[in-house]
Formats: sequence, structure tokens, C-alpha cells
Amino acid sequence: MNTKAEPAPPKTPRVAVVSGAASGIGSATTALLQARGWRIAGLDLAASSADLSLQADVSERAAVEAAIALAEAELGPIRLLVTCAGHYEMTPFMEIGAAQLDRMMRVHVGGLFNCCRAVVPRMRSRGSGQIVAISSELGIAGGDGDAHYAAAKGAVIALVRSLAVEVVGAGIQVNSVAPGPCDTPLLGPDSPWRDPSYLRTLPLGRLVTPQEVAQSVLFLVESGSFFVGDVISPNAGAAI
Amino acid sequence: MTGTSSLDGRVVVVTGAAGGLGREICRNLAVAGARVALVDLPGAPDLAEVAESVGGLVCSADISDSDQVRSALRRAEEGLGPVNGLVANAAFMAMGALTDQAPEVWWRQIEINLIGTFHTCQAAAQRMVRQGGGAIVVVASEWGVTGWPLATAYAASKGGLVALTKTLGREMMPHGVRVNALAPGVIDTPQLEVDALAAGVSRVEIRERYAEAIPLGRVATPAEIAGSVRFLLSDESSGIVGQVLQPNGGTTRARA
Repeated sequence: MNTKAEPAPPKTPRVAVVSGAASGIGSATTALLQARGWRIAGLDLAASSADLSLQADVSERAAVEAAIALAEAELGPIRLLVTCAGHYEMTPFMEIGAAQLDRMMRVHVGGLFNCCRAVVPRMRSRGSGQIVAISSELGIAGGDGDAHYAAAKGAVIALVRSLAVEVVGAGIQVNSVAPGPCDTPLLGPDSPWRDPSYLRTLPLGRLVTPQEVAQSVLFLVESGSFFVGDVISPNAGAAI
Repeated sequence: MTGTSSLDGRVVVVTGAAGGLGREICRNLAVAGARVALVDLPGAPDLAEVAESVGGLVCSADISDSDQVRSALRRAEEGLGPVNGLVANAAFMAMGALTDQAPEVWWRQIEINLIGTFHTCQAAAQRMVRQGGGAIVVVASEWGVTGWPLATAYAASKGGLVALTKTLGREMMPHGVRVNALAPGVIDTPQLEVDALAAGVSRVEIRERYAEAIPLGRVATPAEIAGSVRFLLSDESSGIVGQVLQPNGGTTRARA
């Protein structure tokens, strides 16, 4: 990747909260934002390499609120929230149990809801802020054997579009990045998404990388000032 | 200046280069290190000045004529080197009621916006395939997604560009040519004066009318849209194929 034209990082570090910062897209986003001069509070069940590693379950509202408060106290005003926390599993529709459905909704929709509830009042009081929610190409186009995941991600997109219009007047911009099949630990080594016969069906012929997803996040953060409630989908052509 | 995408040394053809958005795209790409071939109608106002200010090369053509497009691409390659990028931005709009608009005026918009873009993409893609790849950004429009009263031909032509982009995304990616589109909302360019004239109001007034309907509360600056063009041309968007980005300030119920 050509990096010659990069301006120097700003002197006063900007502060972002990244959920799911310990692995995959969250980890790549943390690294890219750090390289651009941001200081990151990483929210994850596991420890992360963020500037401030906060271990919390995004589906628990009080834990998220406490973590966000600590992030502001330690690092300063939060200008950006990127929600990457999530989990994936394939289960045939008739076998999806109540607990599986509940967990899918609590982590993806509830996690986004909790994080936004914690940061929006802070951003609103300052009249500015940005939120980028990682959704999924499956939330746009539907899936096959993962209906609870697709439904949760579809809900994430609808939440993003609704919240975006509701808070834009307060100076807060909300958008989503909807990755396609991505080379992260969410896809096990034997995942059908890694099968060469599947990859051949993708116009790009390969999985997208976490770094490519992070680049779309960075674009929205640094150059996306007229994007409100949009969904950018680096998906290798899986959904067009 | 925002954004980090570098286009160092790439040769990018921009159509509609003398227009309000086109000239900003040329500037933005040049700042990112691209060498720019500026395509616009022969005699387009300020084309030479814009070219000089960005260190680019004028390659005049009426894009509705495929021979002129081919010859412009040839001149671009001879003057600047193999073409790695195309920004299909040229467009013509004439607003008018469906019941009144003359068929020639309707057809001219389809001829330039849709067929002209087809000629441009075809000529550029042929060269890109031969040399192993490239990136194309088609500038469609929010109105091509939503439709718009009194803009039937323009909206239809831009809707056609959305379908063209999706098709080329699928068809050309296996050949190394990455195609995506932008569907911008209203942009603060001299085109607003045309709209204002049609509505019988001032440019300031028409801009305010548009802004009222945009959740962000304002129209786009050309620089904001140019930044999206640069992103889609650069390797930072390498995972994005056949997509339609919609910088439209939050206009709802406008989904490509």
C-alpha cells in the first residue's frame, strides 16, 4: 500500500472507542487509527493492544457505560466510536435455539445500542462526534444457514440509518461499514467461506482482509463528511 | 485537505473535467499524485486553465461519439502513459415536465450520460485489461436512485449508470478492473444556477431549498465528493467492488 501522501498525525491525540478491539476487524481498525494518531480505548471480552484495554461485555449496559466513562476519564473526550464486537455461527434455521437467537441480538443490536447510548450524550454535549458500526453484507443481502446473524446485522443497519438522521442535527455522524466474507478468526479454518469453490464465485476471487475493512472505516472518519446513514460495503463483490 | 489515499504516478482520465465537480476532482487527484487527462467538450470554458493548474493534459472529446472517446484515450496514453484510472463524470441535465419535454432533449441526456459513459468505460477498460488492471469510478446521482420530478431523462440515465456499474463490477473484476459508483446528493456547483433559473429563483434560494430537505442541513461541497472519488480510485478501497457509495447528507429512502 502506498503511503507517501500521508500528512503528519495531529499533535493533540484524538480519542476513539473501538469495541471488539482484541481481534479481527476491531484489531485492524485499532492499529490503523493508532497509526493515524488516534488514541484508542479498546472494549472487548479479551485484553487488547489498544492504548486503554477495557474488558467488558458489550451486551451489558452498565458495564459499557462504566467502560465509556473510564475511557473519557483516562484518555479524554471521545470523538469516535467504532463498533466491531460480534460473533458468527452457522446454524440451519430450524435448529436456531432461543438462547442462540438471544445472544446474537444482544451482542450485535444490543451491543451497538449500549455503546451508542453511552457515547451519544457525551458527543451531543460537545456538538460533534462520529460513529461507525460494523454490520455485514449478510445484513443487506441475507445469508444461507445463518439467518439469526443476518437478521441481527440487518437490524444494525436499520438502527444506524435511524440514529443517523436523529442525531445529525446535534453534529454526530453515524454510518456503517458492511464487510463481506472477511479473513478473521470468526471464520474457522474449515469454514465454507474459505472453500475455493466459494471464493471462485466472488468477483474479487478472495476474502476481504480486516485491513481493507479498516480502510473503509478510516475513509468515513477522515473524508466522509457528507455521509449520513450510509452503508459502505467492502465485500469482494459478494453483494452488488 | 482530508484523506490519505495516494495515487502516486497513476494516470487517470476524468470526463466532464471543466465542470464544477469535474475540476475539483482533477485538483484532488493531482494532489494525491495522479497525472490527470482532462476530457470535456472542445471549447469547454476554462478547460485549459484547469489543466494547467493541475499539471494535466487536455484531451477534448464529445463522449457521445465513440471515435472521439477512443482518440482522447489514445492521446492520454501517448501523453501521460498507460491509463490506470477513469472517472466517468461528464453529464448533461435539462429539467422539464415529462409532458412538455422534447424527445431530442430527452435523448441528448441519455446519449451523453448513459451511452457516453458506456463508450468511455469500454474504451478505458479495454486498455486496462491489456495492461493488467485499473479502477473506474462512475459518477451517478442520488436522483438516479430516488427519481426526481422534472428530471425524468437525467434520473433515468443516472439509474442506468447504477445498473451499468453493478454489471461492470461483476464482469470486469475478474479481469483486474475494479468498478464502483458514487450517487452524490446535491452539490454546490454552477449547475445550481441552471436549477435556479428553471425554478425562477436565485442560486442562494435554490441552495437553501435543497438544504432544507437534507438531514445534514446543507448541500455538499465539490471537495467532499471529490474525496470519495479519490478513495474509490485508490488501493484503500481494494475490497469494494460494484458498490454505489451515497454521500447525500442523509437523504432518507434513497438506497441504491
